[in-house]
Amino acid sequence: MKINKYFFYIATALLLFSFHTQLFAAGDDALDNVMKTMLIATIIVIGIVLWLAVIYSEKNDIDGQTFKAPLIKFRQWLTKSTPVEREQEILLSHDYDGIKELDNRIPPWFSALFYGTIIWGIIYLMVFHVFDSGSVQEKEYLAEVQQANFEKQILIKSGVFINEETVTASNDPAVLNEGKEIYTKNCLACHGQDGGGLVGPNLTDEFWIHGGGIKNIFKVIKYGVPQKGMISWQTQLDPNKMKAVGSYILTFQGTKPANGKQPEGEKWTESN
Amino acid sequence: MQVEKFSYDNLVVKQFAIATLFWGVIGMLVGLTIALQLYIPELNFGIPYLTFGRLRPLHTNAVIFAFVGNMIFAGIYYSVQRVCKTRMISDFLSKFHFWGWQFIIVAAAITLPLGFTTSKEYAELEWPIDIMIAVVWLAFGYNLIATIVKRREKHMYVALWFYIATFVTITVLHVVNSLEIPAGILKSYPIFAGVQDALVQWWYAHNAVAFFLTTPFLGLMYYFLPKAANRPVYSYRLSILHFWALIFLYIWAGPHHLLYTALPDWAQSLGTVFSIMLIAPSWGGMLNGLLTLRGAWDRVRDNPILKFMVVAVTAYGMSTFEGPMLSLKSVNAITHYTDWTIGHAHLGALGWNGLLTFGILYWLIPVMWKTELYSKKLANVHFWISTLGIVFYSIPLYWAGLTQSLMWKQFTELGVLQYPNFLETVLQIIPMYILRSVGGFLFIAGIFLCVYNLVKTAKKGSFEKNEEAEAAPLIKEADKLKRGMIHRWLEKRPIKFALLATVVILIGGLVELIPTYLVKSNIPTIESVKPYTPLELHGRDIYIREGCNTCHSQMVRPFRSETERYGEYSKAGEFVYDHPFLWGSKRTGPDLHRQGGKYSNVWHYLHFEDPRQMSPGSIMPPYPWLLTNSLDTSSTSAKINAMRTIGVPYGEEYENFANKDLMNQANAIADDLLNNGIPADPDKDVIALIAYLQRLGTDIKGNKK
Ligand code: HEC
Repeated sequence: MKINKYFFYIATALLLFSFHTQLFAAGDDALDNVMKTMLIATIIVIGIVLWLAVIYSEKNDIDGQTFKAPLIKFRQWLTKSTPVEREQEILLSHDYDGIKELDNRIPPWFSALFYGTIIWGIIYLMVFHVFDSGSVQEKEYLAEVQQANFEKQILIKSGVFINEETVTASNDPAVLNEGKEIYTKNCLACHGQDGGGLVGPNLTDEFWIHGGGIKNIFKVIKYGVPQKGMISWQTQLDPNKMKAVGSYILTFQGTKPANGKQPEGEKWTESN
Repeated sequence: MQVEKFSYDNLVVKQFAIATLFWGVIGMLVGLTIALQLYIPELNFGIPYLTFGRLRPLHTNAVIFAFVGNMIFAGIYYSVQRVCKTRMISDFLSKFHFWGWQFIIVAAAITLPLGFTTSKEYAELEWPIDIMIAVVWLAFGYNLIATIVKRREKHMYVALWFYIATFVTITVLHVVNSLEIPAGILKSYPIFAGVQDALVQWWYAHNAVAFFLTTPFLGLMYYFLPKAANRPVYSYRLSILHFWALIFLYIWAGPHHLLYTALPDWAQSLGTVFSIMLIAPSWGGMLNGLLTLRGAWDRVRDNPILKFMVVAVTAYGMSTFEGPMLSLKSVNAITHYTDWTIGHAHLGALGWNGLLTFGILYWLIPVMWKTELYSKKLANVHFWISTLGIVFYSIPLYWAGLTQSLMWKQFTELGVLQYPNFLETVLQIIPMYILRSVGGFLFIAGIFLCVYNLVKTAKKGSFEKNEEAEAAPLIKEADKLKRGMIHRWLEKRPIKFALLATVVILIGGLVELIPTYLVKSNIPTIESVKPYTPLELHGRDIYIREGCNTCHSQMVRPFRSETERYGEYSKAGEFVYDHPFLWGSKRTGPDLHRQGGKYSNVWHYLHFEDPRQMSPGSIMPPYPWLLTNSLDTSSTSAKINAMRTIGVPYGEEYENFANKDLMNQANAIADDLLNNGIPADPDKDVIALIAYLQRLGTDIKGNKK
């Protein structure tokens, strides 16, 4: 028995420890809320378990244990069951291969739960499908998107959320460094380590298929050119990252790498 | 009164009990294998038959139908004879049932790894095996009901009610969900498509949980728990109330597996509310089980059998509370498609089915061999490590599910997905996968202890094939239907009881299935959605054969976090030619419904050769054989014909030209691969699969509503 117990403690500790590291690795705001909810849920579950333990932890030798009496009374009140000592009164006459049946009352809390959930169900259906006052999934989705667009507009107006109209090239080494990282991770496969082009075009000359300059480059990164295999990055990179990688690409200008592809597109001159 | 002498058939019980343990070990070892493959993909040794997608259905089928199934039959054959005071009506049918069922299991164990699957969860077996199942199941049903009719006991004990409900409902479920049209000896397409197929499938799968993993086990609980505890059942009226409420309400709840999908809203809501209403009826079973132990709690402490049973019933109570919670849309939005669901399923399967099985076997084997259990201590150890195993299994998966789901949904302050790379969210939860496999390992270690203990017990005792018994014959007496005694009246009439149960379980299914099938507005038509080309159709069948749907969903839910990640959310009208639907239930990999056009053909080609080339660290298995296997184009016309029979509008005689179209499309893809530096034969499996992936979700691209 003892060994089992220690085994159990150690295992629980290990388990908790491993969650601890897991949990903080992700580190999001939303996680916080869910953590709280989970904590409350856990406490509730533990509460229920303890409560059940109290209700069911009845021994045969209850007689001498007066301090248990209130609990037993409480249980009696909740379940309206006939005490074990008097169960002869509700024992049914049947005997199935030695199995007998009592006919205890259905616990009042059980009936409350049963009918309560039925009423809840009726209300739920009414709200969503008769009075149409709850939002079904499409409405819910549209509201979510609308809210997001609204917030985005605010960001754009405040200048935090740059777009192809407001973007400017950066010379800040920190930004260029970030750009280089993004480039290595995402772009290198098609445009080459040095920007000389592989599947994608050469980025080092002054010829551009879709226009040069940070604004046009930003636009191509953002929306992509799907018919030619350049994917759209706007759901994967936020505008600051697109700006960083765009600025980095501009640093290739005039580097003339060894195996660069032939120039494609029009010669671009910065007119403004 | 004259007492009749007769004997109980213990042999069939013994056979089923042995089969339970045998398949239990195998099914769980397969489970452990795939749990390990999730973080060590190499563990499939590059053998197609051992890949995750093919072994996963083998694991679920083995555990549900072989492990739990054999236990159900062992328990039913033991208890039915005794509460009916008669031998099974036909020894032949008992034998036929036993050997037929084992044959089906072996057939499953062979065909599933070979890739013969319908893709429908827990109903993966192909049509010839479906027919065998039906025959064996009906033999069992006849044996059961006819024995009950012949009983020497006036009334039917509550366990029998549950057995009867099990038989009638599983019959209905199996028949409806197996309505399929053959397109070869081991290939078929379900007659329903898309949304309808999804609804039928989850109506089936949910109620397989209800009427295969729950009701028969409640029946077993009602026999073996009072026997082992030597206490009277707590409340007869609670039995009546929770039995009828349970079977009536359960059948409605299937749509809770399809929340936030393209299923019509009204059906989803029915799934939610009926799940909530199920809490009380399910807990009725738990209460009657636990409260039966009133006055015996002191014995639970040192009786491993009772311990197993108590924790099993408690696990039943916990998972039947958890289930309804997961059916609330706001909770489901977080947990669905994640590992939470797997944790939930295993709390039920390992806790309720597993532990109750062990409890029953520890009681049954000594009784049938007329001896004592070989080692109580070992049984205690078994109890502790399996309980610990469950904890280590479920809790890490709950955390994994939650963590990953939140990462999927997290936006940065600038309104862009924080973790746009799906793989990043997978790698985050690998430690949890490792812990989970430790839990699974502990549980399996326990079952080996159990086998050892029981074999030793059997060696000690002596088994008697036919156990002598005697009872007075049943005397027919006239009785009228009296108020307050209706149920007693019904308990004397097994056939009427079975018919009534059938009516009760049909209502929910009919109300949900018929309107979805008949009412047009439930699935608004989309003009631009066209049938698959022959090459894509083959690709789809390869997708099914390889079990890609065990890791990938094809259902973008209407959440901003999903439309940003994958594209426009999925519409009901897009799936009208999907026989079967392939929405999936778990996202180990990303959703694929909008995969078409996302990557180049080359990307897919290299990704199948070895996913880690394109996605470093990926846990998706490599599929090098797709690059070398030649496509079986001889089956094209059979496939086109079968599809046309079930309503896919391929033109008259198209089957004769289909292969020409197929080759054209394949050549185009091969040319594109060649242009990008990859020489590939156009007649390989991989070409078809790429064609299918590039088609996915493109029918409505551009015309967003
Ligand atoms: C063990 C689970 C598993 C199985 C089985 C599996 N995949 Fe994957 N799949 C993944 C994971 C994880 C990723 C994400 C990492 C990556 O790109 O490899 C993925 C990624 C993909 C992608 C890229 C999706 C995207 O948008 O980035 C495609 C396409 C794909 N899988 C197709 C398939 C096909 C087809 C099959 C069946 C032949 C299959 N997968 C089987 C786990 C799986």
